[in-house]
Amino acid sequence: MGSIRVLLLAGVIAGFAGGAALAAGSGGGGGMSLPSESGPSYDPAEEYAKALAALDARDFKAAARSAQRVTDAVPQNLDGWKLLGAAQTGAENWKGARRAYERAIKIAPDDLNARGGLGMALARLKDPKARDQLDWLKARSASCGAGCNAELLRSLTAELERALAEPTAPSARLDQPLILADAGDAAYLDAVGLINEGRYEVALARLDAARAAFGPHPDVLTYQGFAHRKLGRFEVAEGFYRQALAAAPDHRGALEYYGELKVERGDLVGARRMLARLERACTYGCAEAETLRSWIDAGGGPGR
Amino acid sequence: MDRRRRRARALSRIRSAIGLTLALTASGALASDTPTPLRAMAWLAPGADLAAALGRQPTECLLKPDDPALARSIEIGRAAFRDPLLLGGQAARAGLSCESCHAGGRDNPHFRFPGLSAGSGTADVTTSLFSRVRGNGVLDPKPIPNLAGPRAALKTPVTALPAFIRGLVVEEFDGAEPPAAVLKGLSDYVSALDPAACPSARDEPVSLAGHLADVRRALAAAATAIDPQTAERMVGAARAALFRIDERYQALPAETRALRAAARRLAALQAAARTGAPGLDQGIEIWLTDSQSLERRLAAREAQSLYVPAHLTRLRRDRP
Ligand code: HEC
Repeated sequence: MGSIRVLLLAGVIAGFAGGAALAAGSGGGGGMSLPSESGPSYDPAEEYAKALAALDARDFKAAARSAQRVTDAVPQNLDGWKLLGAAQTGAENWKGARRAYERAIKIAPDDLNARGGLGMALARLKDPKARDQLDWLKARSASCGAGCNAELLRSLTAELERALAEPTAPSARLDQPLILADAGDAAYLDAVGLINEGRYEVALARLDAARAAFGPHPDVLTYQGFAHRKLGRFEVAEGFYRQALAAAPDHRGALEYYGELKVERGDLVGARRMLARLERACTYGCAEAETLRSWIDAGGGPGR
Repeated sequence: MDRRRRRARALSRIRSAIGLTLALTASGALASDTPTPLRAMAWLAPGADLAAALGRQPTECLLKPDDPALARSIEIGRAAFRDPLLLGGQAARAGLSCESCHAGGRDNPHFRFPGLSAGSGTADVTTSLFSRVRGNGVLDPKPIPNLAGPRAALKTPVTALPAFIRGLVVEEFDGAEPPAAVLKGLSDYVSALDPAACPSARDEPVSLAGHLADVRRALAAAATAIDPQTAERMVGAARAALFRIDERYQALPAETRALRAAARRLAALQAAARTGAPGLDQGIEIWLTDSQSLERRLAAREAQSLYVPAHLTRLRRDRP
């Protein structure tokens, strides 16, 4: 089965120091198209990296500008909104922070950082609804079991309580670097290995960590879609493939896997649409298009 | 290393690991990890002399048989040998073809694929990197044999070649089962590589003319193919051969635009071939006629292209 094989192999490659061969393969694999021929005017993953760097440098206005571009390009991406929230918090634009965190919570109602961030923004705005967030965090702490980040909950709760008591005190949290790229890198490589072993749930958790570092990077999003798909969560998978394609409309892997997902759902018309896009993206032909085509021809995964 | 570079490095590793296309605008933080300028640079030993490794290639030692049917079969094999899409999975995605290792049908002393090679000119073709079926769990790279070397030095008897090559494509490289005529072509091609047919020069410049000839020969093979599947693969091989010209003209936007337009027309021919629609020969003929002006235009700018060794040596190396 073509696609999983790619991932299996990618897992092997990831284990080698400096697997540069495939970096080139990806760009020049016979279907190169000029970035200027397509794609958004801002690259969301790059804007995300810029926003992170600006946050580190405490240039919150620049961070907010870049984060805004991320959310404009990929509005369904949780990390973009959280980053925008953090940037606005740093810039003390509490209304902006509130809006960003509200959007984040819409996408992920259980995101602790987004809940904490919204609570903080509301506290600064002296909005009594800040209490709701505090209550939510406390309820979460009470039922915090396996897989729940008790320590983070504790610190968010404490900070929100402080802010409610003294709404003008400076926030301590922004003094710590938000996310480390190296940590994201390690998480990503872990995730590839886990997918390799078929441990999709654990892989997804690691991919979340990677995504926090890299933002809406189409490769990471494509992998998330793949893991969800393998777990049978087609709708969630679709969401990630769509985000990947919003970030990079010609992303070959995302087009292929999204097309395969459509085949699995029996949507051959939709799959053919993906194939047509893939063919446009691969001027000189590419394995992704060939693989998807064989899925469509077989009406399911070929040779599974 | 500052954070920005670290992040770019990390992204680069991600990109490497996943091996997927990134249609990203290359600038800023990502500038340091854009793909290598020429695809083959990705499997070049570090420190390799770029002008030698990318500017020259071993000459091909190909017998010309009297039997026209055999000659046609050899041409089919020759095109397939150079087509990355013959191989499947990660090899195809990386852009590797038989010819990446067996340059000009011989060997490739510059070949070094991370995780696949021990030293330059070696490769492990039984690694799970490329194959689930034959992955043996140990890295045991072997020297890439010169397929045009003395027969006695080769391990595989000519009679065993068809089965051997099918195993290579389908099992070692996880490729889809190729049409029978393509498999036959590959073994006919490999059997026709012979020291007696070697030109006096051991190597020659990589040139526009050579790459254009590859395109034309693949299309001629498409026109002679008896089944639509083989014809389709041959048009695909011609399309893949055009890419090798494209990357050498990457600094010349007008030429690459024209090349891409020509490639899209080949893609349309390939789609027609796939359905077995009649008129492929005619379509190929028209394409070849139309491409003459493109060929002239490319030739006029060859001095500015990456076919020129002096330009090659200025390429940025993108290896960690
Ligand atoms: C990654 C590099 C690589 C690629 C790609 C590759 N080969 Fe090879 N090939 C090798 C190596 C290394 C060996 C020697 C293996 C051994 O000694 O066990 C070999 C051996 C062979 C042999 C046997 C030679 C003998 O001693 O009898 C043939 C024939 C051959 N390859 C043909 C092909 C064809 C056809 C393709 C494309 C389908 C191909 N190779 C692709 C590296 C490669």
